[in-house]
Amino acid sequence: MAIATAPARSFDEPVAEQISRLRALWAVIKRKPLGMISAALIIVLVFTAIFANLLAPYDPLAAQPEIRLAPPSWAHPFGTDDIGRDVLSRVIYGSRISLWVGLLAVGIGTCAGMVIGLVCGYWEGRLDLVLQRIMDAVMTIPGLILALAIVSVLKPSTTNAMLAIAMVIIPGNSRVVRGAVLSAKQNRFVEAAQAIGCKDYRIIASHILPNVTAPILILASIWLGNAILIEASLSFLGVGTQPPDPSWGLMLSSTGRAFMEQAPWLAVFPGAAISLSVFGFNLFGDTLRDAWDPKLRRTR
Amino acid sequence: MSKYIARRLILSIPVLILSSLIVFGLMRVMPGDALTALMGESGNVSARDLAKLRKELGLDLPYYQQYLIWAWQMVSFNPGYSIFTNEPITVALKKSIPVTIELAVLALIVGLVIAIPIGVVSATRQDKASDYAGRVAAITGLSLPDFWLGTLVITFAAIWFRWIPPLGYASLWDSPWTNLQQFLLPAAVLGFRLSAATMRMTRSTLLEVLREDYVRTAQAKGLGDRIIIYKHALKNALIPVITLVGGQFGTLLAGTVIVETIFALPGMGRLTVEAILFRDYPIVQTNVMLVAVTLVTLNLLVDLTYAWLDPRIRYQ
Amino acid sequence: MPTAPRPARGRSQVSRRDFLKRTGLGTVALSPLLNGVARRAGAQPAAAYPDWIAPSTKPPKRGKLITRASPWDPPALDPRLTNSVGLFQIASLTSNRLVRFPFSDEAANSTDLTIKGDLAESWQNSPDHRVWTFKLRKGVKWQNVAPLNGRELVAQDIKYCYEAYAKDGVQSFTFQEIEGIETPDKYTVRIHLKMPNTMFLQNLAEPVSVIFAREVLEEDGDLKKRLIGTGPYIMKEHTRKVRVVLARNPDYFDQGRPYIDEYHILSTPDAATRLAAFRSGQSDILFASSLTEVGTLKKTNPDAQVEEYKTVQAVFGLALAQDKPPFNDVRVRRAISMAIDRQKQVDTLYGGHAILGWGIPYFYFQDKAPTAAQLGPYWQYKPAEAKKLLSEAGHPNGFETTLFYYEYFPEMSSQVQLVQQDLKKNLNIEIKISKLDYTTFYTRYAEGKWDGMAWGYKTGYATGLDEHTYQYMHSKSTKNYWRFADPVIDELVTKLRQTSDRNEQRTLTRRVLDREHDQVTRMWMPYDGGFLAWQPSLRNVGSLALRRNDGYGASTLARLWIDK
Repeated sequence: MAIATAPARSFDEPVAEQISRLRALWAVIKRKPLGMISAALIIVLVFTAIFANLLAPYDPLAAQPEIRLAPPSWAHPFGTDDIGRDVLSRVIYGSRISLWVGLLAVGIGTCAGMVIGLVCGYWEGRLDLVLQRIMDAVMTIPGLILALAIVSVLKPSTTNAMLAIAMVIIPGNSRVVRGAVLSAKQNRFVEAAQAIGCKDYRIIASHILPNVTAPILILASIWLGNAILIEASLSFLGVGTQPPDPSWGLMLSSTGRAFMEQAPWLAVFPGAAISLSVFGFNLFGDTLRDAWDPKLRRTR
Repeated sequence: MSKYIARRLILSIPVLILSSLIVFGLMRVMPGDALTALMGESGNVSARDLAKLRKELGLDLPYYQQYLIWAWQMVSFNPGYSIFTNEPITVALKKSIPVTIELAVLALIVGLVIAIPIGVVSATRQDKASDYAGRVAAITGLSLPDFWLGTLVITFAAIWFRWIPPLGYASLWDSPWTNLQQFLLPAAVLGFRLSAATMRMTRSTLLEVLREDYVRTAQAKGLGDRIIIYKHALKNALIPVITLVGGQFGTLLAGTVIVETIFALPGMGRLTVEAILFRDYPIVQTNVMLVAVTLVTLNLLVDLTYAWLDPRIRYQ
Repeated sequence: MPTAPRPARGRSQVSRRDFLKRTGLGTVALSPLLNGVARRAGAQPAAAYPDWIAPSTKPPKRGKLITRASPWDPPALDPRLTNSVGLFQIASLTSNRLVRFPFSDEAANSTDLTIKGDLAESWQNSPDHRVWTFKLRKGVKWQNVAPLNGRELVAQDIKYCYEAYAKDGVQSFTFQEIEGIETPDKYTVRIHLKMPNTMFLQNLAEPVSVIFAREVLEEDGDLKKRLIGTGPYIMKEHTRKVRVVLARNPDYFDQGRPYIDEYHILSTPDAATRLAAFRSGQSDILFASSLTEVGTLKKTNPDAQVEEYKTVQAVFGLALAQDKPPFNDVRVRRAISMAIDRQKQVDTLYGGHAILGWGIPYFYFQDKAPTAAQLGPYWQYKPAEAKKLLSEAGHPNGFETTLFYYEYFPEMSSQVQLVQQDLKKNLNIEIKISKLDYTTFYTRYAEGKWDGMAWGYKTGYATGLDEHTYQYMHSKSTKNYWRFADPVIDELVTKLRQTSDRNEQRTLTRRVLDREHDQVTRMWMPYDGGFLAWQPSLRNVGSLALRRNDGYGASTLARLWIDK
């Protein structure tokens, strides 16, 4: 009887756990002002990206060179750039690119990292040994250099920058996932499920994954910020987004730097946008950690 | 313990071999060629000249042969010559490594000096105003792009103070004062970013540790807070911090790339990036391998320190 | 012995009020910085800076040191392998050529290109312009550095160099026209050409035609490690990516010169840092690419001497893969050229301070810079006609293509994007831009197999007319990156080489230009040569046209001195 009921309970628990997780998160957000701020920033970012075409007053690509390098004014609250495009509109549309870069890079990197980590952690053995060594090898190459090399191999473009950043993310993620899987495996329920002969994928889905999602999401939120920064650095080195696309990184690293003294608004606004987004993501990651990391929970 | 060390060492070898394959492969797959770059911004790129140069440099051999030749060079500590400048790589490295090391060390010091005290304050006064201030400062540090901060610093130093660090790198042994002037700003810029990550890590691990039983026991025993923090908690909290610092080394090296360019320091980062952009394979490959070996060694040292600090780990 | 870097000059002179004003406004310090940005469209370009700073009439003073923060590191020290300005900013001072163009204190004006003797004292040519005889100066010594150790320069040295250039490397196309060189005695060099070339002297005067040391090549096997010449400065130190130290050559044949004792070139890849270096007194020479940049500089350094580097030709333009469709159809090229508003680029991006763009220095065919009307019908902005022409050529709805470039300076990116907009708006041509890093760009461009469009260029060192015409435009030339083969141009530039009468040369050159503009073989774009800034105490700083003296024209720095 006891054995028969164990699996049944093990399917309920994770779901309940998930809900309690979200509740915990919401509680933390409500309680801590920093949590609210970060959530707000992210919502603003996502909102801007989705409704860019409604929010932007001008076409971000429409050049009016006669009014180039105009300082902020009522007509152009963020000023105009080196060929007279409205900076506000470009910053608004830029949120799409930055969000896109971030989400895709982190999405691919996280998923791939998760798959590899799961495989390594759950089945261990030789596959684990080989894969982990490969991950280690990739990690010995500094991230920016690796990204630069990968983008240089492919053609410089936003998409390829995303892929390069994803590659940089994968090894670290896989390590974290592997660690979480290893510790989850020690859970009694897993032993029991294996003993009964539960299918592997069921075990993974019900027992392992829930333990893994927390650290993954925390990492992902921080990497979202980093991805945006790496894209900006790649643009600085000349191999990132292509003109005339309004990526914040490109705006900051090319016209922002070139005209820093004549037209500081070209750098200030995209720079602030990057900083606020990264700030929001990092802070959110912190908040997630505060909510979900059991070791950090306040003992009342 | 020695078994542990031996096992780790053996495992590092395949990792290094894999790293070398990755970097070799990447460099060969990149479009463009050191030779055409060498021909300069102008002038003939006649097929005949290129073919001749290519042969002289051994670039017409099949890839696996090129790889083996290079691998042998690495193992015998004889890295060969730069395609672009024809200078022996050892010479280039001898000049650039001290720069990057000095920059990294100074940045690390700046970072730690800022980070640890603030991390401690943040952790011990969790959720109070000083915690918020610390965390906001930390995250701001993580959010600003390096090149942005670097350019700001150097531009406004020149405008407001009519001063920029003296150009023309002087080594620490030749003229220490000039050297320190040159490294002050770049180390501060790099250190600021490093301090951000370190501060957060210090805060979170200290928070964890402060909840541990043995700390509660010490508190119950009536030991002063200060003693508890510095004697018991910090030591254990430092373990992940050391890991982080070891891990940050990679980021630090990446950060040096940009800072070295802006502040005109002839370090490894700049050497590597310019070599990638100019497809100077031998330099990129050698540099990346050097970094890889350093990182692997550092990781090993970190793990050893771990094991030494926390005996439980040794028995894994 | 390495020279210690100079301490920074000019400690902070900022008044307390200024300081508060600036820091008080934070990063977005709008007010002090806005003044330079008042320039709007239609504003008359400030007749701000002279295009020639005349040499000082005071007697020059000896001694002292100048430094320059330079964006270029020499890729290799071998003049056979590279034409890069990174090398010639140095080699122009360490080495001489057989003949040269005037220096700043001997030039009648900035476009004075009278050939003067450098290593050669006098010369003659045969009436058919195929045999050129040079008499070398006596007593010219190689620099007193091993293995030359100050030995005398002899005719065999010149022969050796020219033959080496002809054999291999980037100079070979120029020197392969030499059939043979005789050295009947120590001081006479006689060169026989395969075909007549009235402008041969100019080719020898180009900054890249330096005479290098035979012993170095023989001993080292290449010229990559040591740079020893007969010139006014000896390369004392060369630390890659850090600095080059040039020290005065005490045995230089031009007695009494150079004036400055040492010239330090500091490797500074970042533009903001170079500007900061000039401001803080660590760099004595600065190149500014636009009027606004100069304005910014003048705010903090009102005493800096600024010269407008005279723009006599365009160096960049829209290159099309014209050996294949759709660009092999002259109607398509003409349509594209008429759909681009060049004047607007000049007015907006350059504040009026740029030329519309043509490919041969104007003073070779007329006295004044060409007006818009003189550039031909296809250089005018006529979008309606362009659209019609493109339809006739079979593309009524436009087409898609690509454009790759490397951002040599920030305004270039602006130009490329404006061109993209113009072509989309007027002709419905969709351009996908690729901004590449230098190596990828250069490799793809020089390889000549690319499709679509590129932001092409001509090399920066050329001064002489032969270089600008025959060497760049002949279909068989290896320097013809623009991938056009026009038999009419071939004929004209070959004839040009055989013409010695100045007026005839001008007429022929004009015809070459007209043909180029008619066939739109190279679609030159607006270009601004930029400005040079100097610290107030420097004299003889004037930079002559086509010979920017921080780069290829550095040889004139032997006449520079400091008035302090």
